Amino acid sequence: MYQYDAVDQEFVADRAREFREQVARRLSGELSEDQFKTLRLMNGLYLQLHAYMLRIAIPYGSLNGRQMRRLAHIGRTYDRGYGHFTTRQNLQFHWIKLRDAPDILDQLAEVDMHAIQTSGNCIRNVTSDPYAGATAEELDDPRVWSEAIRQWSSLHPEFSFLPRKFKIAITAAPKDRTAAKVHDIGLMIRRGRDGQLGFEVIVGGGLGRTPYVGPTIAEFLPANRLFSYLEAILRVYNRHGRRDNIYKARIKILVAALGAEEFARQVAEEWAKIGPEGDLPDTELARIRGAFATTVFDALPAHSEVFEAAKAADPALARFARNNLRPHKKPGYTIVEVSLKTIGETPGDATSDQMDVIADLAERYGQDDIRVTHEQNLVLPHVRLDDVPEVFAQLQAAGLASANVNLISDIIACPGLDYCALANARAIPVAQQIAQTFADPDRAEAIGELKIKISGCINACGHHHVGHIGILGVDKKGEEFYQLTLGGSGAEDAAVGKMLGPALPYDKVASAIDTLVEVYLRERHEGERFLDTYRRTGVEPFKEAVYADAH
Amino acid sequence: MKALTANRLIDGDVVFWKSGQWVEGFGDADLFDDPEAAEAAEGQAKSQPTVVIDPYLIDLIESDGLWAPLSYRERIRALGPTNHPTHGKQAVGGDVVEALLHADGAARSSGRVNLIKRK
Ligand code: HEM
Ligand code: SF4
Repeated sequence: MYQYDAVDQEFVADRAREFREQVARRLSGELSEDQFKTLRLMNGLYLQLHAYMLRIAIPYGSLNGRQMRRLAHIGRTYDRGYGHFTTRQNLQFHWIKLRDAPDILDQLAEVDMHAIQTSGNCIRNVTSDPYAGATAEELDDPRVWSEAIRQWSSLHPEFSFLPRKFKIAITAAPKDRTAAKVHDIGLMIRRGRDGQLGFEVIVGGGLGRTPYVGPTIAEFLPANRLFSYLEAILRVYNRHGRRDNIYKARIKILVAALGAEEFARQVAEEWAKIGPEGDLPDTELARIRGAFATTVFDALPAHSEVFEAAKAADPALARFARNNLRPHKKPGYTIVEVSLKTIGETPGDATSDQMDVIADLAERYGQDDIRVTHEQNLVLPHVRLDDVPEVFAQLQAAGLASANVNLISDIIACPGLDYCALANARAIPVAQQIAQTFADPDRAEAIGELKIKISGCINACGHHHVGHIGILGVDKKGEEFYQLTLGGSGAEDAAVGKMLGPALPYDKVASAIDTLVEVYLRERHEGERFLDTYRRTGVEPFKEAVYADAH
Repeated sequence: MKALTANRLIDGDVVFWKSGQWVEGFGDADLFDDPEAAEAAEGQAKSQPTVVIDPYLIDLIESDGLWAPLSYRERIRALGPTNHPTHGKQAVGGDVVEALLHADGAARSSGRVNLIKRK
């Protein structure tokens, strides 16, 4: 993975030192809360209901064992022994004390980590494919581009005071695991007819109050012109973005107001002015690429006797293999998804002890490589098939072997009213109830891929708009109610879900999901996912069943 | 009936006003039945910017013969997250915690008194 050089290290250590001074000035009264708030947010520190929350950047969701172990240590020492992985591949601690925050930043800096670009109106941490460098599907390694964007954007003076936050996702595989089409900019690596690499550029997607699937403004941008083009987009946004109104300040509003064509025209005009001088030199890109090319794979047979025998002997391992393993580009290797959706637990949470187990497994069996997915799970991207039985056993011992990736209990949920100061309603217990309703693993597998996503308010941190079933917490005269949407998707077939009907009270949500699933099982044709059936039948049969039940 | 609450600057913890000081348990908080006394306390609290962040008054209702915050959000602040019953203030247990757990009053989610006036 990418190694920090001395300049990177000094920069991050400096930021930690600077923050220590800022905290001291706040505590002495020299800085007011209003003045300090902007500074703490630049270091990922929010005030939530019960304590401060620290959001730590995991650039493109990639970290090594040493870093994971440090996160475990921070959780144990300064939090309550756990952390929460988020839909933007970051990690949040929910019980942080302001007086500890400078020490935590120092501890992070020691392992090349920080909380920069996790908050505020800047270019946020780039999201990328958690299978990068491991999947045979990819046309190029998207981490190279993600890291290049990270370096380009961190200190770029033009981009530190944007009208609003700015999120970029990059994928290089036809199967989109980054929700690229609902980001401010989504980049999909494509190969041109002549074999040249390029990007499809999607701009102005987003969730929140006004959800949009972003339109494509460039079908094929030659890869070596990426940075000047990004700069052009950001310039147009910087010039016309609605700084006057926080609800209209995201680029999606600008793109929708101008129309994709006019926006693209303005970008092209700006792009011509910037010219190739705004691009990253090939040598720089080659340097970054080199940093990712260090993984060495052994020549192995595609078939592993050890793995096949263990699978035949242990149905639990066989189930895990069906649901949590993905094909690797190299024979004899596999991608292992580690579900953080154990039935009854908080989606996305991992205890410090579990983080240590993952760190050990990565170091011993996984080329010291760990990924975070935007669906709040972890990935060991390079495991030998021969080692899978042992890895599975250790995951089982740590309570990390749920075989439910992409299934109905693999739910995204934001912290909601249990932690978040902006929430209308809780999200976590709703997820727990649904997971419990579908705890039977055979039934879950029979249902197949079904993505439920829950947010505690319209900010949509839990991606509810793009859930096959989306659940949005609303406040009706102080009571928690939940608005269901159907038919959303955050993948390559991205769509914003449609409202099912009136919001349901807290204790009716799980049974309504059960009803929706029964309708799907009744209506589905061979090979259809829930989403496919919904798209074919429309909302009616689902609506009828849920609201007939509600009476 | 009202109480005065804030988050403490140094650690972010939820705190309640008690005779010019801040206490961690809702059960120890001053309860105001006199609106003027409540506003006077709020005024005093606002002059402690290096101790607490954003102090505000909350409405209370009766529950199990005791007082509990009217809004669900405020009860979660006073108790801790519902997904981890051992985290937050609820961990200590006792009558006041029970009363809060059983309260079922409803209010706008902020539950803040003066929310409109404040902004
Ligand atoms: C608990 C503290 C949090 C606060 C205060 C917060 C605040 C917000 C706000 C205000 C927005 C809307 C921004 C806009 O539309 O301009 C938003 C969006 C978002 N947040 Fe959070 N959030 C929090 C936690 C999280 C968590 C835990 C996750 C991941 C699970 C997350 C991921 C996102 C994502 C993916 C969006 C997407 C909407 C978009 O950018 O279009 N946030 N957040
Ligand atoms: S969606 Fe709302 S409730 Fe959930 S974390 Fe985001 S801001 Fe908080």
